[in-house]
Amino acid sequence: MVKPKRLLRLLLRIIVLGSTLAAVIIMATSHEKGTFFALSYEAKYSDTPAFKFFVIANAIVTVYGFLVLFIPSESQLWGLVLALDLVFTMLLISSISAALAVAQVGKKGNSSAGWLPVCGQVTKYCNQVTGALVAGFIAIITYIILLLYSIYTFLNPLLGKNG
Amino acid sequence: MALQNEDKLEVGYSSLQPKPKKWVLLMLRLLAFFATAAATVVMGLNKETKTLVVATVGTTPIKATLTAKFQHTPAFVFFVIANGLASIHNLVMIMGDLCGQKLDYKGLRLAMIAILDMMTVALISGGASAAAFMAELGKNGNSHARWNSICDKYKTFCDHGGGALIASFAGLILMLIISVMSIIKLLIKPKPDSTTVVP
Repeated sequence: MVKPKRLLRLLLRIIVLGSTLAAVIIMATSHEKGTFFALSYEAKYSDTPAFKFFVIANAIVTVYGFLVLFIPSESQLWGLVLALDLVFTMLLISSISAALAVAQVGKKGNSSAGWLPVCGQVTKYCNQVTGALVAGFIAIITYIILLLYSIYTFLNPLLGKNG
Repeated sequence: MALQNEDKLEVGYSSLQPKPKKWVLLMLRLLAFFATAAATVVMGLNKETKTLVVATVGTTPIKATLTAKFQHTPAFVFFVIANGLASIHNLVMIMGDLCGQKLDYKGLRLAMIAILDMMTVALISGGASAAAFMAELGKNGNSHARWNSICDKYKTFCDHGGGALIASFAGLILMLIISVMSIIKLLIKPKPDSTTVVP
């Protein structure tokens, strides 16, 4: 029988897997042709290293999340999974922070550096990037909940022995 | 009297064991505090002013003063705030380690330290990576969006920013090690004094 604790963790992991996969797909398929002062160009996610980092980081976490679903319960690997969860949480936070910084410049521009906002010309691209960032945020929040819950359930057996 | 001797032996043994680890953790926290404080200060005081001659009216040149400040970029503001909070966290933890050993809240002291350490790691990583990619944008520009690089005009600003970034990344690595050690301390709880009871 599947215990409710295991079910909750499995549910959280599936949500994380879905969100990171959605973030990768939405960001990777975002491209739009636009005109910028009579010059036509195509805006892709690979123009910006920050968005490339976002796609790569979320792809790594997606693959990892998919592999973790296959680990049988009560295996010795769950300690390693906990440690890797911490590292991947940090990676996700780092990637979304970078993508958000660059996306903010694309939307609002930076008047002191002479950088004009580009969202007016490539609206569909901007909306897709926003969607990918929202999916990334959902992934991070769920991942943090999962991490805290994993540490709590890891601790409880130990507390039970000593308490 | 025999029980008292055994108690003294147990106390002596347990006070020897965690000492080396405690000093290592304290040293790491001190280093992380210096790294994040240095990053905060260097980026917080990052400002460069340039005067350019824009036009010449008759014989008097019209000068325009342009400044590059860290406040212009929200990513750098977040960087300063994140590193500032991280150094305050490290300072509070050092004080707690040195002065307030007895402070506890329902036995959750180690858990609170571990969770706060993890939060600080998340904060620093977010701030450092956002500032790193913004700095990369400032250095290389983005030809597709017609954003010119600014580092050739404001060289000192870029250099100081780069130094602050390096300090912050060093602080991030140290903070990660500290966080792992705090979690290990949390998971391997020391045995309670019930082991000293001799029937």
